[in-house]
Amino acid sequence: MRRNQSVNDLAVIAARIRRHVLEICRQRGGYAAQGVALADIAAVLYFDELRPDADGWFKDRFVLSNGHDAIMVYGALAETGHYGMDVLKTYNADGTSVDQSPIEGQLGFEITAGSLGQGPSQSAGLAWSLRRQGLDERVYCLFSDGELQEGNVWEAAMFAGHQKLDNLCFIIDNNDMQASGQVADVLAVEPVPEKFEAFGFKSRRINGTGITELLDAFEEARATKGRPYAMICDTRLWAGINCLQKALPMAHYTARTAVDWDEGLTEIGATLMELEAKRRE
Amino acid sequence: MLLTGERQFDSAPFDSISYDLCTRRGDVVVMSADLSKYCQVVRVKKELPEQHLDVGMAEQNLLAVAAGVAKGGLVPVATCFACYITRRAYDQLLICMGTGSGAGTNVETGGLTNIAIGFTPGITNPARIHHQAAEDLGMVRAIPNATVIDPVDPTDFRAALDIAVDLPGLTYIRGHRGNTPLILDPDKFTFELGKTYTLKAGKGIGIIASGHGTQWALETSELLSERGVDHSLLHVPTIKPVNEKEVSDFAFAHDQIVTIENHQIVTGLGSLVAEIVSDTGGGPRITRIGLANRWAPGGTLAYIRAQLGLDAEVLASRLAGLAS
Repeated sequence: MRRNQSVNDLAVIAARIRRHVLEICRQRGGYAAQGVALADIAAVLYFDELRPDADGWFKDRFVLSNGHDAIMVYGALAETGHYGMDVLKTYNADGTSVDQSPIEGQLGFEITAGSLGQGPSQSAGLAWSLRRQGLDERVYCLFSDGELQEGNVWEAAMFAGHQKLDNLCFIIDNNDMQASGQVADVLAVEPVPEKFEAFGFKSRRINGTGITELLDAFEEARATKGRPYAMICDTRLWAGINCLQKALPMAHYTARTAVDWDEGLTEIGATLMELEAKRRE
Repeated sequence: MLLTGERQFDSAPFDSISYDLCTRRGDVVVMSADLSKYCQVVRVKKELPEQHLDVGMAEQNLLAVAAGVAKGGLVPVATCFACYITRRAYDQLLICMGTGSGAGTNVETGGLTNIAIGFTPGITNPARIHHQAAEDLGMVRAIPNATVIDPVDPTDFRAALDIAVDLPGLTYIRGHRGNTPLILDPDKFTFELGKTYTLKAGKGIGIIASGHGTQWALETSELLSERGVDHSLLHVPTIKPVNEKEVSDFAFAHDQIVTIENHQIVTGLGSLVAEIVSDTGGGPRITRIGLANRWAPGGTLAYIRAQLGLDAEVLASRLAGLAS
């Protein structure tokens, strides 16, 4: 734990991020399931792991590789206050500045994500560049298990392992879902931790939705010397929102009319009340 | 006169260009994909190892890591053969290195510097097809906001890279390696981005060339002069963004235009000149010389040129025929 957040406080933040995701996606649809599944990772990253800088941003660098998961970043940056919800509600609208899959230079986005499999190499180059200059910034790169089918990802892994980039942490959203169906059916990628170990990483499989486990894994990543770190998160796309699970057995993209958004928001409201009650205890 | 006048060669131009640059600029990182020796990155690798990074035989990684190196605050100069750096890793060239700056991006002015240098371009590699790259200029020219340079010799190659390290966005430069003729006089030639250079002033046929094509055009020019065929020669090292007015003024000052390039006759210099001239309309006839919808053979450059009708004798005869 870096910023002395309590587990309960981070759980509240994660629930609030889920609420932001649903409120954004209910406007015109979007990658809602990815956003809610990654809310706990986002809460721990943005509210504990990434160190703030003096300019109101973050000293450590977060690289989003799969553009579809931008919704997670938007949910998190709504909670930090870097984006207003009025602006975020234009997500997926014509003429918006809030791209569904953003390009390099938009607040919160280091690279042009969306041509999948290119984040790991860029984050490895970034980590190498920072280390070369003697800087202690750490680099975090989120990418998905579907991207593991791209050869460029393994070129990156080989490079990061060879260069012993211990300032680099890969976060793999191992949700077993890609555009055509389950990853295990399309082109199996398991065993993922063992593959990264073979490329010179220290790796660990977690469920990706447990705050305590996430804090522990990030701690372990920072303590790992001489090797990059791969955190394989076995998330599920509907994590934390039952209405998504009911509506979306194939949850790659959520159309506006596919879900009872009010039901989801009610569910999050109940979760938040429980967590708030715990906080008062 | 911008030419040296003497026949001299530099046996390893990029070795000194890269070394001098790295000595002057500590923030430059010269990158290789297992071809450092073959791109003549020798002194930097040996004497300035902190400024050299080899990513292995992985060109997608080369360009994506380079983009990451730039995002960390350094200036990457990714080197490889032109075929791999453009064809094999085009998406990384375009997406990772080419979308961070310029109109239509989030950084309209300024932005990070990303440089890629493609060696043995066109038909200048002895291994046919897979090691040759006769479509690279067209590919990179199609990337919005990219800078594309096809230098003729070590002098404008060096000057182009010196300028590129301070340019925002993606810059692609065609490299020279091995015994390279010194054509431009460094004391008289000043490289400016976009500028075109008249190497011979005359009337009648206006030859427009770039890169190795300018070398071939100079050889052809000598033969044409011996035969009394009046002509001019314009060297266009900057393919993008070129000074279109200079190209247009040159074209309209001649009866007809011939473009000579080390590239397919589509999408490269010949196409560029045709586009510029047609934008004005009513211009001279343009004959585009280069590779015409065929694969080049392998072998020595002299052999390949002869097979393709790109040797000076055949070029001179073709141009003399056009003039008569």
